[in-house]
Amino acid sequence: MTIFLKVGGMLKERVKTDVDEWTRSVETEPGRTLRQVIEELGLKTVHVAMAFVGERLISLSYVPHDGDVITLRPPVQGG
Amino acid sequence: MIKGFGGNQLRIDLTTGELARTPLDERFAREWLGGRSFIAKILYDEVPRDADPLGFENRLVVTPGVMSGNFAPSGSKCCFGAVSPLSNGHGDSTVGGHFGPELKFAGLDLLVFSGIAPKPVYLLIDDAKIELRDAAKYWGLGTMEAEQMLKEDLGEDFEIVAIGPAGENLIAFSCIGHDWGRQAGRCGIGAVMGSKRLKAIAVRGTGKVPIHDLKALRDSTMAIIKRTAKHPNMAPWQKYGTAMFVGWSNQHGVYPTHNFQTTYFEDYAGIDGQPLVDRILVSNKACFGCWMNCGKYSKVSLPGKPTVFVEGPEYETGSLCGGNCGFNTIEQVAYVNWLCDHVGIDTMSGGGFAAFAMECYEKGLITREQLEGHELRWGSIDDFEHFIDMIVHRRGIGEWFARGAKYAAEQIGGGAERLVAQVKGQGMSGYDGRGAPAMLLSYMTADIGAHHNRAWTITMDEDLGKTVIKGKAKVVVYLQHIRPFFDTVSCCRLFWGEVDVTAEEHIDAIKLMTGWSDFTLEEAMRLSDRIWNLNRAHYLERNGGPGRSFDYPNARFYEEAVPSGPGKGARLTMADLDVMLDEYYEARGWGKDGNPSREILADLGLADCAANLQKRGLLGELFAPLPAVRGERYKPKAF
Amino acid sequence: MRIQVTAEACTGCRLCRQICAIDGFADTNPRRARLRIEAKFPSPGTYHPQVCDQCGDCAEICPEDAITRNDQGAYVVDSERCSMCGVCIDACPVGVMMKGEDEIPYKCDFCWSCTEVCNTGALVRAE
Repeated sequence: MTIFLKVGGMLKERVKTDVDEWTRSVETEPGRTLRQVIEELGLKTVHVAMAFVGERLISLSYVPHDGDVITLRPPVQGG
Repeated sequence: MIKGFGGNQLRIDLTTGELARTPLDERFAREWLGGRSFIAKILYDEVPRDADPLGFENRLVVTPGVMSGNFAPSGSKCCFGAVSPLSNGHGDSTVGGHFGPELKFAGLDLLVFSGIAPKPVYLLIDDAKIELRDAAKYWGLGTMEAEQMLKEDLGEDFEIVAIGPAGENLIAFSCIGHDWGRQAGRCGIGAVMGSKRLKAIAVRGTGKVPIHDLKALRDSTMAIIKRTAKHPNMAPWQKYGTAMFVGWSNQHGVYPTHNFQTTYFEDYAGIDGQPLVDRILVSNKACFGCWMNCGKYSKVSLPGKPTVFVEGPEYETGSLCGGNCGFNTIEQVAYVNWLCDHVGIDTMSGGGFAAFAMECYEKGLITREQLEGHELRWGSIDDFEHFIDMIVHRRGIGEWFARGAKYAAEQIGGGAERLVAQVKGQGMSGYDGRGAPAMLLSYMTADIGAHHNRAWTITMDEDLGKTVIKGKAKVVVYLQHIRPFFDTVSCCRLFWGEVDVTAEEHIDAIKLMTGWSDFTLEEAMRLSDRIWNLNRAHYLERNGGPGRSFDYPNARFYEEAVPSGPGKGARLTMADLDVMLDEYYEARGWGKDGNPSREILADLGLADCAANLQKRGLLGELFAPLPAVRGERYKPKAF
Repeated sequence: MRIQVTAEACTGCRLCRQICAIDGFADTNPRRARLRIEAKFPSPGTYHPQVCDQCGDCAEICPEDAITRNDQGAYVVDSERCSMCGVCIDACPVGVMMKGEDEIPYKCDFCWSCTEVCNTGALVRAE
């Protein structure tokens, strides 16, 4: 199945986008968790501070569905 | 007329009351740009090397910077600087909000306060009408109380910065408050302001800042606004701000817990961004000209406590006043945030130093008797409140902590110095460097002491390997040039860090503001290198040398392994720190002793620094070829 | 047409005021703007944009008939006819009839720049 990862900031340096400026399509097996998808891509979970499906906050244990658009927010210094 | 700038500087002699408003020299503006670079230059040139930071001869420097107020990505900041009572070296701290832009509209780019007022005063700037006014009725008020009263007395449209009782009482980690809960928090600049009996600065500016090409600036910034509105990081940033990093930090073994004893706080889910949004958030709050609005204004009601309003908690407060002190509900952390803001202390050093005291109490190094019969337990709001009160009013051992926790540790003895998380007296930011060696190096080498805003390296550390020591120093140097650039031009670096507004776009915006068509990023980075070395020279001239002797953290960070959580087992040794320092000094063009070399100072046009260091026997000897460009950008692999 | 205001979405960034000043007067100072933001701090801690709703009170009270609608449907001041009496400024129920440096009042003319710059949804161009 295909899912779509939206990435910006430091994640954009680490993920090549192919759909548009911020979006990367990923072929993956049903039943994989988001953590597994990220790690199979070559990323480390330290690069992902939060993840969303639409506006819904999800954890790295989330199991994506076909066509999901998942926004990954990287960490950055806080104040 | 300098384009993009307010056009004038103001000298305030608080002793005599003399005020002098004179044009800002454009060559000075081009050479030093503004913000923390103005501060570095003025402090170096004007403050005698033996001047007491809380004495007559220190300077308080206030400077908005070229981008502030000029319709640019978050051109909102104002930089405050002085010789720091915490580090006894260059100190600066930046606040967002609306004060910097208002100074520009009043035609001002630089305020330099000297001397000490005979009695408490505030400075009123109402365009060109400038007065020192009696501040007796405001003295003793909390930072936000003072802001409120001054707005009632002068007008809602005045922008106010104010210190609280902590600054008035010269607490070494006092901050300056603004805009209902923003601060220039670090370095104890609030104490310098208090030492001068300056309670507040109130400014109203109705003037027009000349812009070189306003139409082009307007169109390019509007295009950036529209482009970034759709950026994947924008919506989460707007909704959660920085508080959400509490969870991430815990999951990756860098979260300070119980005074950095470990790096995982089991109750972290109760104090991160989700409970903030769910339970206490009132409104999103932006700085001037910023469409990321990461500020989170909150309302907190704790049983038995007054209902309070606070901007926050941000990540640093959520860590250093969160798990670090054992507070496990968002309401508790927000209340502690408010308390620190109200009295006017830095939540970072405040939380960190209180946590240190909590560990001392736990270990019997501080007694109930020394705490006026109170305890100082992890997670106790009452104990924390009482302890802070002792510090703010300098009672008992509060007198020790009033001078900073490093001093307090020396008085407490019994090995306490090993436990206080600091470098050069500045309380450490909310990341434990045992899980991120380059972050520890960043703390060790930051000009103002342990602070993360000079170089933030957590993800690079993990990319290259959390246990990898070598090869990271040159990246730290690069970050120490690019990140402080944003403090020099006074805009928020989070547009660059979060939503891909490039450094080159910031340079282009500055060119449109000023008409400096030949201004480049290379010039700006070279200025960062220049002031880095200037600040190092200043530090050594004040504190002696070798520089290396000041560049170590407390012993916990090279003697203890992290005992629990995802970071369990993380451990650095003194040898590791020395490897990192050697690499760092080589990358900087310094000697192995951590002193700048003649060659690097000559390269940067700092011959006067070289002469001053030589006189004191503090010049370093190059031990490797001087790099043509100091620092190297880290380019991660893309998958 | 109108500027729809959702106060809960306002963050006090002042970009609306700044773009209004830039587009109206080539000036980055938000004080030149033809809309206001009321900030209620420390409590309750909220922002309230005040924008012209084209109610027409200014036009009705003007003794010189100097205030008429433009092609966007906004009331604007004809500076040639204006006698600078200032009654329209006092008459504005929202406090967004501004007094110019040349004494001629000025107001929102529905240029829509504020709605373009606002990305929180606080100010939206609506029918």
